[in-house]
Amino acid sequence: MSLSIRWLAPAAVCVAASPACFAIQYLGVEQAQALIFPDAREFVRADARLTPDQIKAIEAKSGMRVRAAEQRVWQARTEGKLLGWFIVDEVLGKHEFITYAAGLSADGSVRQIEVMDYRENYGYEIRNPVWRRQFAGKRLGDKLKLDEDIKNISGATLSCRHITDGIKRLLALYEVALR
Amino acid sequence: MEQKARQGTGKCRQLWLLAGFAVLLSPQWAAADENYFGYSYGSETTPKGSWEFYQWITWRHDKGEGEYDAFDFRTELEYGVTERLQAALYLNTAYHHTQDTGPLDDSGLREIPNQDDFGFQGVSMEFKYRLLSPYKDPIGLALYIEPSYSRINKISGITGTEYEIEPKIILQKNFLEDQLITVLNFTGEFEWERFPSDEPTERELKLELSGGAAYRVATNWHIGLEARVQAVYPNMNLGNREAWAFFAGPALHYNSKKWWFTLTLMPQISGSPRDPALSSRLHLEEFERTEVRLKLGYYF
Repeated sequence: MSLSIRWLAPAAVCVAASPACFAIQYLGVEQAQALIFPDAREFVRADARLTPDQIKAIEAKSGMRVRAAEQRVWQARTEGKLLGWFIVDEVLGKHEFITYAAGLSADGSVRQIEVMDYRENYGYEIRNPVWRRQFAGKRLGDKLKLDEDIKNISGATLSCRHITDGIKRLLALYEVALR
Repeated sequence: MEQKARQGTGKCRQLWLLAGFAVLLSPQWAAADENYFGYSYGSETTPKGSWEFYQWITWRHDKGEGEYDAFDFRTELEYGVTERLQAALYLNTAYHHTQDTGPLDDSGLREIPNQDDFGFQGVSMEFKYRLLSPYKDPIGLALYIEPSYSRINKISGITGTEYEIEPKIILQKNFLEDQLITVLNFTGEFEWERFPSDEPTERELKLELSGGAAYRVATNWHIGLEARVQAVYPNMNLGNREAWAFFAGPALHYNSKKWWFTLTLMPQISGSPRDPALSSRLHLEEFERTEVRLKLGYYF
C-alpha cells in the first residue's frame, strides 16, 4: 500500500488545532469584598491558623476534610462595628481548584458567596446569582445537600457539590475558630 | 486458506509509527471527552449540547512467534444529547504488520497472513445513558451500547464483514472528595462475522469485566491501575469457553482546560489455553502479549 495523504490529513488537522487554555479570574479580593460587604468601611486581616485540635473539630462538625491549616480571613467592619467575616477559600474542581469568597454575617450565617477564579472547562454556571443566593442565611447544622436544600445545576454537579461542601466547612470554621 | 490481506510496505509501517509518536509528543494535540482509564468507562456523560472529539490509538504487540504489531485507530465525535444521554460516532482504521505469526489452520497455512497494511476498518456508534451520578448519588450508574460494523478482522487483518453489538453496565464510585475514582464495567460483545467474506457466518460472544482506580496526585494529573479479564465463547455458547486472558497495568491521565490524554499500558498477566511453544502462562491466539492505549480528548 502506498502512503496516502488522505490518511494522515485528519491527524495533521488535529495536531495543528491548538487548544486555547486559560483560567478565568472573575474577581479579585477587593472586588469580592465590595460585592459581599458593600457597607463595610474597612477589612481587617484576621487569618485563621488552625491547630490540629481545631482541624479535627472542624472536620467533625462539617464532615469535610480540612486541606490547609491556614485560611485567609478578613473582618468586615464599619465604624468599629463587626459586620461579618470575609473568607477566601478553595475547593477542588474536577482537576483544578475553584477559588471563591464567602461572607459570613456576625451571627455566623452565610451572607453571600462569589466565585473568584474558575479554571475548569465545565461547571462555570455556579456563578449564576440565583444558584448562589440559595446559601444566604445558611448556618452550621443546616443540611446543605444537593437536590435537597441546595438545588443542583445540570452539567455543573461536581462544582455545585464541592462549593456546597466548602460552605459547610467554612460554617464549621466560624464555630471553631472565628466566633 | 484464502489470503485476502491487503498488501503493504515496510516504509508505510515506519511512517505510521512516526506519525503516532509525533501525535503523542505534540503539545498542541487537540482531542476530547475525558476518560481516566484506557479501557474502562466512568458513568458521567458529556454535558447537554457539548461536543467532544477523541482520538484513540491502541498498539497490540506480540503473539509469541514471528512478528505481530497491530494499531487500532478510532476517531470519535461525541455529543451530549441531554444531561443524561450522550451519543458518539466512530470512524475506525487499522494497521497490521505481521510476519510468520498466528496459529496454523487445517491446511497448514497461517491464519494470520504476512502483511504490512493500513486500511479503513469500519464505523461504530455509541449511546450512553446515566442513571445515577457519583457526585450526587451513593454510586454512579450508566448503561451503554455500541453497535459496530467492521471490514477488517481485528486480530488477523483479513478483510471480511463483522457486525457487533456491545452493551455495557458502568459503575463508578468516588472517594476522598472525588480525588479517588473507581470504576467497574461489565461488557458483552456479540459478534457475527465472516472472515474472509466467502466463509460462513460465525457467531461469537466475548464477556469482559474491567475496572480501575485513579488517584489525583497533582493538579491535572491522575495515576491509576486498571485491569480487565475477557473470555471468548464461540457460537455464543456460554458452556463452551474457547479462551480467556487477564490484563493489568498502570494508567496515566492528564487534563487541561480544553484537552486531556490517558495512556494505559496493559500487559497480559495470564491466559488460557496455553500453547507452550508460544508462552507458558499467556494465551496468545485470541489476545496479544501487550497492549498500549493512548486516548486524546478535546472539548469544544
